[in-house]
Amino acid sequence: MSAANEQTQVYQFPEDEPLILGNPTFKDVTNRVLGVLEAKAPRGWWLSLFAAASLAAVLFGMIGWLFWEGIGVWGVNVPVGWGWAIVNFVFWVGIGHAGTLISAILFLLRQKWRTSINRFAEAMTLFAVICALVFPGIHVGRVWAVYWMFPLPNQMAMWPNFRSPLLWDVFAVSTYFTCSLLFWYVGLVPDLATMRDRATSTIRKKIFGLLSLGWRGGNRQWKHYEVAYLLLAGISTPLVLSVHSVVSTDFATSVIPGWHTTIFPPYFVAGAIFSGFAMVMTLAIITRKVYGLEDYITDNHMEKMVKIMMLTGMMVGLAYGTEFFIAWYSGNPYEAFALHNRAFGPYAWAYWIMVSCNVILPQLFWIKKLRRNIPVLFVGSLLVNVGMWFERFVIVVTSLHRDYLPANWDYYKPTIFDIGTFVGSFGLFLTLFLLFIRFLPMIAISEVKNVLPAADPHNYEGHHGSEEKHASGDLGMEGAKS
Amino acid sequence: MNLNQETYKLSGANNVGMIALVIGVVGLVLCGVGYAVDHARFFHAWLTAFLFWTTIGIGGLFMVLLHHVSNSVWSVVVRRIGETMMATLPYMFIFAIPVLLGIHDLYHWSHADAVAHDELLQWKQPFLNTPFFVIRTVIFFAAWALLGWWLYGLSIKQDKEGHSFALLKKFKTISAPGLILYAVTVCLAGFDWIMSIYPHWYSTIFGIYFFAGSIMSNMAFMAILVSMLNKRGVLKKEINSDRYHDIGKLVFAYMILWGYMAFSQYFLIWYANIPEETIFYMNRWGGSWSVASMILVFGHFTIPFVMLMGRTTKRSASTLGFFAVWLLVMHYVDLYWLVMPNIQPDSAMPSWMDFAAMMAIGGLVMWLFWRRFTANAIVPLRDPRLQKSIDLVSP
Repeated sequence: MSAANEQTQVYQFPEDEPLILGNPTFKDVTNRVLGVLEAKAPRGWWLSLFAAASLAAVLFGMIGWLFWEGIGVWGVNVPVGWGWAIVNFVFWVGIGHAGTLISAILFLLRQKWRTSINRFAEAMTLFAVICALVFPGIHVGRVWAVYWMFPLPNQMAMWPNFRSPLLWDVFAVSTYFTCSLLFWYVGLVPDLATMRDRATSTIRKKIFGLLSLGWRGGNRQWKHYEVAYLLLAGISTPLVLSVHSVVSTDFATSVIPGWHTTIFPPYFVAGAIFSGFAMVMTLAIITRKVYGLEDYITDNHMEKMVKIMMLTGMMVGLAYGTEFFIAWYSGNPYEAFALHNRAFGPYAWAYWIMVSCNVILPQLFWIKKLRRNIPVLFVGSLLVNVGMWFERFVIVVTSLHRDYLPANWDYYKPTIFDIGTFVGSFGLFLTLFLLFIRFLPMIAISEVKNVLPAADPHNYEGHHGSEEKHASGDLGMEGAKS
Repeated sequence: MNLNQETYKLSGANNVGMIALVIGVVGLVLCGVGYAVDHARFFHAWLTAFLFWTTIGIGGLFMVLLHHVSNSVWSVVVRRIGETMMATLPYMFIFAIPVLLGIHDLYHWSHADAVAHDELLQWKQPFLNTPFFVIRTVIFFAAWALLGWWLYGLSIKQDKEGHSFALLKKFKTISAPGLILYAVTVCLAGFDWIMSIYPHWYSTIFGIYFFAGSIMSNMAFMAILVSMLNKRGVLKKEINSDRYHDIGKLVFAYMILWGYMAFSQYFLIWYANIPEETIFYMNRWGGSWSVASMILVFGHFTIPFVMLMGRTTKRSASTLGFFAVWLLVMHYVDLYWLVMPNIQPDSAMPSWMDFAAMMAIGGLVMWLFWRRFTANAIVPLRDPRLQKSIDLVSP
């Protein structure tokens, strides 16, 4: 049965639509996913890596110049003392959240469709957090003082301010990175062992042998593995909420109109998941196209992701509405001014880009046809990330540029160095991502096998006529759950 | 009580409804006495009880809407409980009438002379005025009645028509936009019914704080009902410890969600330390209010957090039932803590009227609930996913 036929077939239950098309055997899955890694890197990969690495070089060039000259090279000044650096930080941390939601929360909610996308979504989380961490590290332009971010005992008895949300960010994001890395790595272990078993060169065997921590795929190992995976999912779940909540306190604990509002923590979390899913979708569409993985990351996956985007997009919309309503309801003239200034002031263009991309655009996806229309989804996912970047820009800049003293008011503009740093951070992100898809399995082999019809113990009882392929005995069980 | 194994209707269970009705009527009589003794205190007790039972219904509506949009399997077998609770929402409007009648005792902004001397209230008058408040309350109930009765009606139709996949689709088509209507009305209801009691105070998170408490209370209610039915031998095969585990996980998750909302609100207000916002917590710290506040911190979050974390607690009918009752009590304390400082600024003073109002509304709501619950099958017996739901094993 061809993939196209299978997609047009109507299933009785939406949840019964196959997650992997073409009915592959376990062995097919292994060959397919690892085949990408074992073949020579295609030219396109080299070209992309070159482009991405060049962009990353731009980032490092910009940072070098920043360290040399100081933050005067950026557009920040009184009153907008926090510019693109914090916008980019929040943007990148937010991107990461979808990976954790997919790997942890969807696991706890027994959403089996996550298996095709969770591996590279988790990798995306790690790379996004790395990109995010660049900005707090460089934002004062004094890299030699960066260790002051940590509460290290020192002979000067200098400590960071424990009441500062910026310090909590250090703890929140580093915890997040550590847990995400562990979770990702634990999930990788069985696949690394498969790679070791298939390795043809000694060096490959040694490296993957070391990385797979002695995995043999025994029953007891699987039992421990599953417990560990469940526990890590449980530990990671609160992180989906806590990290961006802490990030939101960077703003919300202040007394600046437009920043200090109690809805910020959940509102930031919803926005983070929204933007993260958009990024997962962008990456998934490109990767599956390039590697021809449309039967593993199917249109069904896309539809499910875009539904989560609609949901979180509307949550964000509800938060925008609530902020406006309470700004009026509070009777606080400063709050009302800040919100009015957002929508109708000098940065109105940014505000309406944000609203169009985040609230209006996702409404298109009420139409089922569009939820499975890949070009529309691709453009939509890019625009959502544009909108979510602008959301952070709007929050940071519009609340600052007109503060309590009208004599201070100013129109903040980024410099070429702001823009270069941000664009360069995409270079870093894409470089890491390209290296990842080249050297590690981008699809979780062992987990995907688990959602195949063949993994169902009753699969061979004879009432599935179309699945004779499995009954032929070619099960390809290496590294798979049995 | 007996369950007919073919129609899945409960029989011999009328006494439950009768007991509820008697409690309700006795409660109503006591409420009448309460009104005569101290009408301001009575209206506050009534509002708290009204909120308590309404939020369970609101939570039920959410459970059903979410069930349909997410193609849930696990919850098919308990869906009728959520549906029946959601179908009581329209009746809750009757219990809202005393709230509207007691508006002058409950809502300071409804006094023309208060507004005349208060610039802020004048500013808010386009929103906070008696006719608009009544209209909004009517709209909330109309929206919930529309969704609730529509979905309930279709669900009963499903019992008759059999394995209809078209109906499953229809449920979804109603529920997805229904969630938008739901989100807006529930947030505004939270602002109206509770936040506007203190018309100067405001908090953007308040609507979803109200929502989080609602969905938790409904899940706890469901846990209690399921364990009580099971104890009487009803649905023993259909609902096993795996379903308890699922319900328990959701009670746990929603309880944490409440804690998250409550903490976010408290923490940001504490940190910024702006008097017009901190007044809300200051009013809940004087006299015995500090005790109530601490009961919420420990009883509504810390203790159940520790106790419900483990697997065994959630998988047993008795322990899950115990913590479900616990959390419902805490939900009442939460609402009491929100409403009552209006009339007891110095110290929390529970009164017999609180019990009377809870008895009156609770008894009558449960009577209505039980009548509907026993009139139809207690599981959606022809839902195409029912068998899947019963067979579902949760690891």
